[in-house]
Amino acid sequence: MYLELEHIKKSFGDKTVVDDLSFSLEQGKLLCILGSSGCGKTTTLNMIGGFLRPDSGRIILDGQDITEMTPEYRPVATVFQSYGLFPHMNVIQNVTYGLKFRHIDRKDAIERGERYLDLVGLHEYSKYRIDELSGGQQQRVALARALAVEPKLCLLDEPFSNLDAALRVKMRVELKKLQEELGITMVFVTHDQEEAIILSDFMTIMDQGRLVQMDTPENIYRNPSNSYVSEFLGLKDIVWGEDGKIMKVIANEKL
Amino acid sequence: MIDRKKLLSNTERVSQNTLSRYIDMIGDHALQFLVLGGVVLFIFYPLFCVFLRSFHSADGFTFSQYAKVITEESTALWRSVFVGSFTSVLCTILSVVFSLFISTRRGWQKIIFTALLIVIMVSPPFVSSIAYIQLYGRRGWITYNLLHLNIMPYNQWGIIAMQTISFVPINALMLNGLLAKIDRSVINSARDLGAKAKDILKDVVLPALKPGIIVCLLLTFVRSLADYGTPAIIGGRFRTLASQIYIQFMGAGNIDKAAAMNMFLLVPSLILFFIYRHFMKKMNSNSSSRRQDAHLNLPLHKSGVIGWLIMGIGLLYSLIMTLQYSSIFLSAINRTGSKIFSFTTEYIEKVFTYNASTLYRSLLYAFIVSIIGSLFAVIFSYYVERRKVRFGSVFDCIATLPYMIPGTCFGIGFILAFNSAPLKITGTALILIINMLFKQLPTTTKMCAASLSQIHVAQENSARDLGAGRLAVIKDVILPGMRPAMLTCFIYNFTSSMTTAGAILFLVAPKTLLAVFKLFDATYTGEYGVASVIASLIIIVVLLVEGLVFLLTSYLEKHNVSGTRTYQKELW
Ligand SMILES: Nc1ncnc2c1ncn2[C@@H]1O[C@H](COP(=O)(O)OP(=O)(O)O)[C@@H](O)[C@H]1O
Ligand SMILES: [Mg+2]
Repeated sequence: MYLELEHIKKSFGDKTVVDDLSFSLEQGKLLCILGSSGCGKTTTLNMIGGFLRPDSGRIILDGQDITEMTPEYRPVATVFQSYGLFPHMNVIQNVTYGLKFRHIDRKDAIERGERYLDLVGLHEYSKYRIDELSGGQQQRVALARALAVEPKLCLLDEPFSNLDAALRVKMRVELKKLQEELGITMVFVTHDQEEAIILSDFMTIMDQGRLVQMDTPENIYRNPSNSYVSEFLGLKDIVWGEDGKIMKVIANEKL
Repeated sequence: MIDRKKLLSNTERVSQNTLSRYIDMIGDHALQFLVLGGVVLFIFYPLFCVFLRSFHSADGFTFSQYAKVITEESTALWRSVFVGSFTSVLCTILSVVFSLFISTRRGWQKIIFTALLIVIMVSPPFVSSIAYIQLYGRRGWITYNLLHLNIMPYNQWGIIAMQTISFVPINALMLNGLLAKIDRSVINSARDLGAKAKDILKDVVLPALKPGIIVCLLLTFVRSLADYGTPAIIGGRFRTLASQIYIQFMGAGNIDKAAAMNMFLLVPSLILFFIYRHFMKKMNSNSSSRRQDAHLNLPLHKSGVIGWLIMGIGLLYSLIMTLQYSSIFLSAINRTGSKIFSFTTEYIEKVFTYNASTLYRSLLYAFIVSIIGSLFAVIFSYYVERRKVRFGSVFDCIATLPYMIPGTCFGIGFILAFNSAPLKITGTALILIINMLFKQLPTTTKMCAASLSQIHVAQENSARDLGAGRLAVIKDVILPGMRPAMLTCFIYNFTSSMTTAGAILFLVAPKTLLAVFKLFDATYTGEYGVASVIASLIIIVVLLVEGLVFLLTSYLEKHNVSGTRTYQKELW
């Protein structure tokens, strides 16, 4: 498999946050990690990105063991929940920042940066300062910046959680389209069931640091492995699109 | 468009060639070593030298220096405690009153009194003493010319009075910070409920000030203990331990004994320092960051006798201060000793002929300290606060020590530590610059730490993620993000370098004389006209530089914020 996590474990003090987590993902697919707040999703992502070192276990990407690799050498790029854009640089400087370290000359770098800005629909904004952009635009700059280094794996940590509901739905569709078009492998973290079901090729459900179930959204919907999963998903129905893809989910009435 | 094939082949990677990787790693460690080692070498080590030296005699380890201090200097010792306690209580009361007075001003009054406070804050040391002698001295304008009295003001009361009025502004600023945190709605609703202003003062305001009052008492005591300038100038034969150290040091004193004497200042200062840190934490923990009126809605004139007293004392203090500065500026152009005003440029000419180079040197050193000092503080607080280096809290504690270390200790410590190879820097410009830099570090690191928390960790992680090494993160994320903090540090460093005597008087050499030293020297030898000129010049220069930096920042800010592009709505 393209990405493999083997028996990853992480604790802070005597609190085990990620416990014996294993999963794998094919190239070009989008995996959603779904779980309630505090279940260890960000911690997992931080270990894949290299910001935290697992206590035990291995992470393998494209046949290479990257467990001990520092973030700057990992062929992985992350879109953080708070974006982490550099406020003192303008949009194009942000997007091309990673290219500095890849020995790409300035002209080519800017050209490439603009291509990716184009891809996220911000081609007119390359000279804007970050604080002149709206939340959704900042989100897209962060995405373009991560994609511009053309990583083997792109990580997204609840990237849409700071956006309003309507925009979230729109961004979801765009992200999925982009991911399929470019064939990028992505790991997407969310606590939003609908978001996960619509975006995922594969879905893992996490609870208190452990993996509960991993499968395609459809299979999880049809055969939840236990009552926790079915209750957590809380699905009543799924609306299918003509292309056989999930279009909309209908949730149970919340009590 | 993006070539999908090429994209998936992932050709360019961050070069993992070992050389650049090692350069980054070594650079990162070197930088860390530089800031942490600097703090140990230039703060801890000098103090340790004083400690060691105090047990030193011709035939090895001894307590005899301590015995000597106790027998020979017991008068000075008790005088220090007496002056310290008296000043501390008096100054704290005055500071509380003055901060209440300032905080309740509004409109034009606020502007005037804040301006006065700013001038006081940028003033060199000894101005109060110079003015005191000019106004109330044996030939003082007020006591002699006006009232025809012939009194000797050179005694303990003069010291206590001068220290008290000099330490008020810095205390009042801190107390103002606390007053600003009091929830305005509590005061307003208490007033709605019919509480009288004086009850609010008693039930809301004073309890909120309590930790600040304790900190004031502690800090003022330590400052008074450490102050050698005031007693040396106006104490006459009344010498405190600190002034005794300085006077003996100048007259080729016994350095072993001086070290032991310093231990009597250092130990209490350190003990009080740790108590201070405890209360400081308490003060910072119950902070509210809500934005609210700066001005305290508490009409003093409706607060009964207490309110009138606060107003009266606040006005009186402001008047004394105004008088003080007028006297300094006037003394610069008035022939000393003349009964009525007699204009002269003699002192100004004297200063510019004999002391111009000293002034330039002060400016130059202050700029160097400001630039290196702000950078040092940013990097130091980055490693301690962000990178969480091991024993970070120990280094942080050492870096905060100079806040409370008496100048005599720091000065003699530097001389003991850096007077022999391989670190022989006594008599050079370097020792002055280093000393000022580390003396100011406690405040600058505090400023940086506060500002560092504004830079989100995600920014650092993003940079690493995109291929930046540790040094590149500092260069591309931390330093640009800390620009506002560095400007604040710059101003603080500059002002302090120009106006603080601290250990400087111990460390200057004939080739490295600074303006503060000349100021002290002129005052000490009774050249009050020259002293007034130097003091006025320092005040003017510092105000000018601060004003320039302020204008520059607001200009830059304006140019950034109102760019030509206006905010556009979502396109997608
Ligand atoms: N650096 C840390 N130190 C201690 N505890 C942490 C740290 N980071 C996360 N945790 C704890 O680990 C748990 C999982 O956190 P996180 O991975 O951020 O959850 P999620 O992203 O799923 O909401 C939480 O209970 C959190 O408090
Ligand atoms: Mg999270």
